[in-house]
Amino acid sequence: MKHQGKCPVEEPQVVIDVGDGAAIPKPSDKGLVSAWRLSFAGALIVLGYLLVFHPDPYLRIFKFIPDGILITFQVTVCSIALALVFGLITGLGRISRNKYVNLVASTYVEIVRGVPLLVQLFYIYYALGRIVQVPDLLAAVLSMSVCYGAYMGEVFRAGILAIPVGQTEAARSLGFNRAQTMYHVILPQAWRTILPPVGNEFIALLKDTSLVSILGVADLLRRGREFASESFMYFETFTMVAVVYLIITLVLSKLVSIMEERLSHHVKR
Amino acid sequence: MSNDSPIIRIADVSKYFDAVAALSHVSLDVGQGEKVVIIGPSGSGKSTLLRTINRLENISAGRIVVDGFDLDDKTVDINKVRMEVGMVFQSFNLFPHKTVLQNLTLAPIKLKGMDPAEADAMARRLLDKVGILEKADVFPAKLSGGQQQRVAIARALAMSPKIMLFDEPTSALDPEMIGEVLDVMVKLAREGMTMVCVTHEMGFAREVADRIVFMDEGQILEIATPAEFFTSPRHPRTQKFLEQIL
Repeated sequence: MKHQGKCPVEEPQVVIDVGDGAAIPKPSDKGLVSAWRLSFAGALIVLGYLLVFHPDPYLRIFKFIPDGILITFQVTVCSIALALVFGLITGLGRISRNKYVNLVASTYVEIVRGVPLLVQLFYIYYALGRIVQVPDLLAAVLSMSVCYGAYMGEVFRAGILAIPVGQTEAARSLGFNRAQTMYHVILPQAWRTILPPVGNEFIALLKDTSLVSILGVADLLRRGREFASESFMYFETFTMVAVVYLIITLVLSKLVSIMEERLSHHVKR
Repeated sequence: MSNDSPIIRIADVSKYFDAVAALSHVSLDVGQGEKVVIIGPSGSGKSTLLRTINRLENISAGRIVVDGFDLDDKTVDINKVRMEVGMVFQSFNLFPHKTVLQNLTLAPIKLKGMDPAEADAMARRLLDKVGILEKADVFPAKLSGGQQQRVAIARALAMSPKIMLFDEPTSALDPEMIGEVLDVMVKLAREGMTMVCVTHEMGFAREVADRIVFMDEGQILEIATPAEFFTSPRHPRTQKFLEQIL
């Protein structure tokens, strides 16, 4: 428990804010709630208008891209699941008292943060390709989760460090070892603080999956590009793609906001 | 009160935080069933000393033997020792994600492999003993400070410890709740539990302690029976301290 006792100055904040995610509307933030409503209503109106009054080409585009939405979701869900595993390991490594474990975890975070995601995608895709041939989809998922695992690691780390050191001391004084303390006492509490930023990362990751279209994965953006390159209707296609992305992320950010609400109501502290 | 072989033996223990000595050359034996109360001004090292007994604090020099286990012996499993040494904290430190009952049963079930039904019954007996059985199924956040601290005592007792350590158990409580916690501690003392208490409650010290240890600046300045300590303290620093608080 020493490591936690020693560095309380560094970051004991309980609310974890991740800057690059979507803005999550909270009922208290009237501005953001109104902005959410405005954007959501606007997106739906634009979508409806285009589909009803300009079915050609918009309805054709709309029918062409759902396969891509499915792929986008698959990549997102698989990546976030794997990223959570990487994140937990990295987060625990970052707070480990073993300096080698700590160094490995920190170096991973440092490297991943320092290389643009698109470059990482290319790199892992081609580096992996030199060793084993893996399906494009798997390569995409691996790349995304390696990247997001590092961010997730920081979320886990902050979430774990936010638990008061007294909890660790109480558990240790009962006879729990480090691992048991983490598993039975710290992580179950840390989940509460970790879940909202994980929701944030989920949305950020969903948007970033558009990058995997470069790797030949037929996601939402890729389907749009396919349609555009055949029809030469670039403006119309990307309008549609943008509106669909917007609707998806707005729905998700609303869900995350509801989840945050629920969690804060159930805090039994 | 001194038994043949002390259950806690603290021998010439020093602890340094960087260059500052939190404890310097402290020696103290606690006999089986003995109640030792440690008092002293804040920053005197009394909590640090208490926390070395279950190695929540490591020591820089000296030796501590608890129930025959040398805490610095690498072959000694500190977690086994800690199961025998209950600890109660100033800030309660109940597990907020568990109900009162689960706070008590978690360690016995996970660490001793106790049957859940048996643990449940044992926990209810302990909650009854500390007078809070009706709150078994609520979460700690719903309890007052005094209630939380009584649950914390019961949680420590659930591991059937041989020794109980109390680190200023009433210092974070509203005045009207101090009594209910002290009552539980007195009851425990009457049952013959070995207790080491850091406290500012002089009434409790007078009533329960076999010996009172007075510390200042990381050193034990005086060890005396309550009668001696309160009526004729020897060390000038003790005299001054008592003048200020009594």
